Amino acid sequence: MTLLQLEKVSRRYPIGNPVFGLRSFLTAVDQVSLEVRKGETTGVVGESGCGKSTTGRLALGLEQADSGHVLFEDKQLAAADTREWRAKRQRMQLVYQDTLAALDRRMTIGDLIAEPLVIHDIGDRASRQQRVLDLLYAVGLSEHHRALYPHQLSGGQRQRVVLARALAPSPSLLVCDEPVSALDVSVQAQIVNLLVDLQQELGLGILFISHDLRVVRHVSDRIVVMYLGQVVEHGRADTVIDQPMHPYTQALVSAMPKLPGGFDHYLPLPGEPPSPTERPSGCPFHPRCHLAKDICRQTQPELLPLGPERRVSCHLVSNP
Amino acid sequence: MNPMLNAFQTNSANAALFTSHDVAAPRKRPILTVNDLTVSFSGVPVLHGVDLTVDKGEAIGIVGESGCGKSVTWRAVLGLLPKSAEVKGEARLDGFNLAGASQSKLEQVRGGRIAMIFQDPASALNPVHRIGAQITEALRLHRGLTSASARAEARRLLDQVGIPDATSRLNAYPHELSGGQNQRVMIAIALAGEPELLVADEPTTALDATVQAQILLLLKTIQRDTGMGLVMISHDLAAVAAICDRVCVMYAGRIVEAAPTHTLLNAPQHPYTRDLIGAIPPSDGPRVRLTAIPGAPPHGGLPPGCAYAPRCQSADAACAMTGPDMRTISARHVVRCLRVADGTRQ
Repeated sequence: MTLLQLEKVSRRYPIGNPVFGLRSFLTAVDQVSLEVRKGETTGVVGESGCGKSTTGRLALGLEQADSGHVLFEDKQLAAADTREWRAKRQRMQLVYQDTLAALDRRMTIGDLIAEPLVIHDIGDRASRQQRVLDLLYAVGLSEHHRALYPHQLSGGQRQRVVLARALAPSPSLLVCDEPVSALDVSVQAQIVNLLVDLQQELGLGILFISHDLRVVRHVSDRIVVMYLGQVVEHGRADTVIDQPMHPYTQALVSAMPKLPGGFDHYLPLPGEPPSPTERPSGCPFHPRCHLAKDICRQTQPELLPLGPERRVSCHLVSNP
Repeated sequence: MNPMLNAFQTNSANAALFTSHDVAAPRKRPILTVNDLTVSFSGVPVLHGVDLTVDKGEAIGIVGESGCGKSVTWRAVLGLLPKSAEVKGEARLDGFNLAGASQSKLEQVRGGRIAMIFQDPASALNPVHRIGAQITEALRLHRGLTSASARAEARRLLDQVGIPDATSRLNAYPHELSGGQNQRVMIAIALAGEPELLVADEPTTALDATVQAQILLLLKTIQRDTGMGLVMISHDLAAVAAICDRVCVMYAGRIVEAAPTHTLLNAPQHPYTRDLIGAIPPSDGPRVRLTAIPGAPPHGGLPPGCAYAPRCQSADAACAMTGPDMRTISARHVVRCLRVADGTRQ
């Protein structure tokens, strides 16, 4: 069942100074379509500035799309800060990287986890206490953490609290924006395993946004690869990473050192991702693409289906 | 180019670029030998005795989680720790002990014989000076080059680190360059003193995936071409293993295992090394459950026995009592684990 659907969603921001007539637009997200199904994870991967975080904010209604539709549980997502949106927000929660910023340092862990229950008016005092306790155990913490403050916990424990807080109002969708990037490898594995377990137990749909291809491959059922605000490849996790078709995905996969093996299959990719303010004409990837032809410089390729559940946006893949 | 550097090149001329099967390779002269290095901050020990050597032309990796002492080790060697740090032990560079040496002595070594680059190039570079000036400053300090010759050498260095259009780039300010290009400039400045050893502390952590690969391979290429030693400090075992000949794994202020990369990845002996490898999601093959190491590394005081015992799945009563010594199990493969020493592990 489709939980969240983005249909050709775009978001652009004005930049420059309108007084001097220098107003122009930065397109952060350009015609992005993706879906998250119940009990499944859709991974969004790309380098900085590719629009993956903005996509997550659009999915939650924290940003308004300039065009396109965001459908959550088959209904168009209402505008932020409206009564309808607030009611829906109970069902969709955000987990992100900076746990110290996410948790009010003057509140105890117990109060922090109970806060969403209070806001959404769920249960009475006694049942909230019980729910907090259940959530603490569910994320691998214990009762004695309830009275502590965020700074008394380690980074991994704080991420567990953020997760417990997100799960408190029984959401159906989690948007995780770089949830493990600030953590050490061993703690990262703890949180990734916890996320996978909770998903199986609760049937959550997860939109998992990360720059880390290894982690995204590990948790995702479907993967969306973004470059300069556009989806360049979309498909089942194993096929996208194991048999990438878009030249960018191929380069991204080859830049991930194998263990063991290192850069045995490295495909050199020149340059760095350009700033979204300097979007090239045609295919956004063509200045770095070793296969680029005239058509790539002139016409923007469309995201075309290529096999089951596979879409690739490349002239050379669709018309070899 | 100075004669010493030429000699280095000849030595490493036949070394294959990206192979790490140096198990049978003869040992070269060590450049730097660290013996029983300990560091404490205001009486709290953070480094509990580190021993290691870096051979001429060798690339070694230092891997561990935050707080394990991987950066502190190298900052202590180069005298970059704050005054509150108490450093004991020795770090010998050709018989000269760097640990606890005076700043004036250290300044003859830093940037010249040993150079260091850091994670965040944007804060390491001076934002109000052109990058050409910052490179020629290093050339003047360490090699006495001035005016035209310095500028020509700066241009050559920018070429070497892969910055296109070096001549015009010399006039750029750091903010005009991207993160990856700034890191290349940092590498150029580090190379300006023709160092025998380059210490890179998390050099690619702040960079995007595709740029990270470019910088890692650039470091490896330069290390091979100039024959300098390379120390790569990182939390990312995969990145370190990709370019280093040998890897040291640190835990709670000690090296717990050190071995040639190939051996470490294929036959890790210390439980922490195994768990660390198991915690990294594989880049291909079937998706298996990750090894989640329970708990967190010790903070401040160490447990009485092995520091890893409280989190170790194979620890027994003895591990909680006795701190293990470093054992040599094969050529260049050392492990600090009781269970390995008494032969219960293969």
